[in-house]
Amino acid sequence: MGGHDAGSQHQFTGIAKYFNAYTITGRRNCVLLTYASLLGIGLFFKLKPKKQAAVAEKS
Amino acid sequence: LVLSFFDQFLSPTFLGIPLIAVALALPWVMFPALPSQWLPNRQLLLQSWFINRFTQQLLLPLNTGGHKWALLFASLMLFLITLNMLGLLPYTFTPTTQLSLNLGLAVPLWLATVIIGLRNQTTVALGHLLPEGTPTPLIPVLVIIETISLFIRPLALGVRLTANLTAGHLLIQLIATAAFVLLPLMPTVAALTAVLLLLLTLLEVAVAMIQAYVFVLLLSLYLQENI
Repeated sequence: MGGHDAGSQHQFTGIAKYFNAYTITGRRNCVLLTYASLLGIGLFFKLKPKKQAAVAEKS
Repeated sequence: LVLSFFDQFLSPTFLGIPLIAVALALPWVMFPALPSQWLPNRQLLLQSWFINRFTQQLLLPLNTGGHKWALLFASLMLFLITLNMLGLLPYTFTPTTQLSLNLGLAVPLWLATVIIGLRNQTTVALGHLLPEGTPTPLIPVLVIIETISLFIRPLALGVRLTANLTAGHLLIQLIATAAFVLLPLMPTVAALTAVLLLLLTLLEVAVAMIQAYVFVLLLSLYLQENI
């Protein structure tokens, strides 16, 4: 159940060599990229400065 | 007079001592240790046959690394099946109706399988979070869905056992009360309700055994993925 994919029959080139949904390393990299993106989006909104809202309120 | 149908699920205490500790220790006295004789008596023979057969069946799909878990799975199965079955006796307290106990069993064991998987085969464990052959636009969505389903597992394990046992006990009490109340009013209906109660009790015996087995089986499946 859920055997390891040898990935020998897939010949990827370019970015698909590292990020694909067939080889186990490709899947791992996709998962890590998704987590990193979510973390990045979360950090972006958390650390975003709110100066524009304060200026609009004042005027 | 039964004031609330949920009183049977209150964790019993006596002079401040939580009696759930006694209820949890009770299965230990039901299974005597094997003496040095090969064939001691019928009960011990049956008991050891059951334990050996169950452990053998459960460990079939696991590799050698998973065999270390044999003692844990066998003892967990015996523990749960004994607690569930004893709870079907009238006026007994069933510890496995307490969500705290079931989550206390499910979360550490599930977490152990996840940590083993991440530690020993990190790439494979992480790669499992994306099904093979997923179309590219669906990859982020599926990663999120698979992560959520991973974290839902211990909750589902604990809540499944709690809900099944609680619902069964509640139904038994409701139908028994109905049969008892209807007896002076409509004896025929009360008799039919009593027949229904008998069938329900048989069902609950099956559910008690099946739910214990499902708990341990799912844990062994989670271990299979990670070992």
